[in-house]
Amino acid sequence: MKLKAMIIRNVKLFFKDKGMFFTSMVTPMILLVLYVTFLGKTYTDSFRAAVPEGHMFSDGLIEATVGGELISSILAVCCVTVAFCSNMLMVQDKVSGARNDLLIAPVKRSVLALGYYIATVFSTLIVCVVALGAGLLYVRSVGWYMSVSDIAWILLDIVILVLFGTALSSIINIFLSTQGQISAVGTIVSAGYGFICGAYMPISNFGEGLRKVLSFLPGTYGTSLLRNHAMRGVFGQMRADGFPAEVVEGIKESVDCKLYFFGNEVTTTMMYLYLGATVIVLIAVYVLLHAGTRTRK
Amino acid sequence: MWVWEYNCVEMAEGNAEMGESMENIIEIRHLHKSFGAVHAVNDLSFRVKEGELFAFLGVNGAGKSTTIHMLCGQLQKDSGEIVIDGKDQRHEMDAIRASLGVVFQNSVLDKQLSVYDNLKSRAALYGIYGEEFERRFDGLDGLLGLKELRKRTLGKLSGGQRRRVDIARAILHRPKILILDEPTTGLDPQTRQNVWDAVDSLRKNENMTVFLTTHYMEEAADADYVVILDAGRIAAKGTPLDLKNTYTGDFITLYHAKESEVASLEVQYEKLGIMKGKGKVEQAECKNHTGKEDTEGIYRIAVPDTAAATQLILAHPDVFADYEITKGKMDDVFLAVTGRAGQEGEN
Repeated sequence: MKLKAMIIRNVKLFFKDKGMFFTSMVTPMILLVLYVTFLGKTYTDSFRAAVPEGHMFSDGLIEATVGGELISSILAVCCVTVAFCSNMLMVQDKVSGARNDLLIAPVKRSVLALGYYIATVFSTLIVCVVALGAGLLYVRSVGWYMSVSDIAWILLDIVILVLFGTALSSIINIFLSTQGQISAVGTIVSAGYGFICGAYMPISNFGEGLRKVLSFLPGTYGTSLLRNHAMRGVFGQMRADGFPAEVVEGIKESVDCKLYFFGNEVTTTMMYLYLGATVIVLIAVYVLLHAGTRTRK
Repeated sequence: MWVWEYNCVEMAEGNAEMGESMENIIEIRHLHKSFGAVHAVNDLSFRVKEGELFAFLGVNGAGKSTTIHMLCGQLQKDSGEIVIDGKDQRHEMDAIRASLGVVFQNSVLDKQLSVYDNLKSRAALYGIYGEEFERRFDGLDGLLGLKELRKRTLGKLSGGQRRRVDIARAILHRPKILILDEPTTGLDPQTRQNVWDAVDSLRKNENMTVFLTTHYMEEAADADYVVILDAGRIAAKGTPLDLKNTYTGDFITLYHAKESEVASLEVQYEKLGIMKGKGKVEQAECKNHTGKEDTEGIYRIAVPDTAAATQLILAHPDVFADYEITKGKMDDVFLAVTGRAGQEGEN
């Protein structure tokens, strides 16, 4: 019951704190603006250019391809940036003194820590599922090639990425204790994560050195999983329309559906395993760090 | 409302059974805490008796907040012992936490949430849920007028209203000890009075021990016991009366006296005002005089103690026709203690 009370408090605080909520939406909004202003057109042109002679891309298919890329990118950043912003409550409680008030009560610190974690996961999932719903409505309006199983896989991807983003932010937040640090981390994550996870620009467009570095980051594979599941339908349709397999594979590679780790292709199973293992390791680190900071010295 | 009254009766009966003997509810022995080279708390030992209003005073940086944080288990002590309600802090901190209620200097509740949501989330941390919480919330309404604030967002309340909610949060779980960390700082006189009315009611009806830090010395004057801290050490301790007797003298305020008569006493005096007709007083400059004017006025004479005052009055009955004897104030005590400690430190 104590845990439940903490979770309810934390979730309410996230949605009632307009500043925190809108900050978390900055990156997805940037992404949306980028797509509306030029990225959408750029991708449309590049997909058309990739089509071999004698084949035709229907407008619906091409819009659905760009739409799939758009919603996968938005979800990839949402899962992490919203988690970071929501979890900032951990630090805000230190800044405002609320943490002292909570710790005056006979409640275990592990309950507080778990309360922050679960509340962040819950809040972020709500935002991401709403974003997914809006994205699916958009895709539906331009060209629908998804199946129910694709949506189920996307939901699984969202859950794993949210667990990852929350665990990562929990570890970082342990070391933060001022409003300035909250702003700094919030800005860095909001501005930077979209680039390093391949949401703003596919990683395939980057130089080889940077691609190798980014291939170590778990977030990269989260974006790729979302891309794979959001665009599987359109790739299937391309094959059904008689597009050569190498053309489809080329498009998949260009939008990061296929990723390589030092030359070896990373399958979606391996992506899940890597992300899952990372989440477990991060949570273990969080628990250990938390256990090491029991009472202020 | 009835719940609160019921509990008051219940508590009062319990206290009667315990008898009148006051037990130590807080015992601190040889407490030390350093931050690098700064010895914030230095061999601190004191006790707080059950049911008393204990004032813990000191200038900023004297070690009050550090001591309170250690008392509440939020800060590790370097050495020493803290025993609260018979429980050793090292082994029974959770049980101790249940018996503590703290009103922090600044409100630390969630400003975005309603009063009800704030109290509900905090009550849950003490295992108070559902109907039990509703009963306690209603019970506190009589004391603190919470119902009118129930749905209001905490951040939109006035300072006084927020203080009421802070007190409600601190006593929601019926603690034995209420720690008030500068509870009235920044509040207007009326709100300060309301806060003290609530605290007095808790002491009277629940025999709650109140551990107070304040910079308003008139609040400390009502305490049962006072400890004045300076540079992490106890600079003075005792009842307010003991401290006044030790660190300040008495004052005789003389009305309708001529300055030549007061000067004839050959003691240091201060002219407070000039009598201007019946009952009218004009403020005089507050400085010592040597007695050259012969106006009728109000004079304050400083004497070492009450015995000296009595002796002076008996020796000059013609001069002391209309007078009063007062003790020094806690402000004087505080300044004498912390000023002297500061000088000793400098020496």
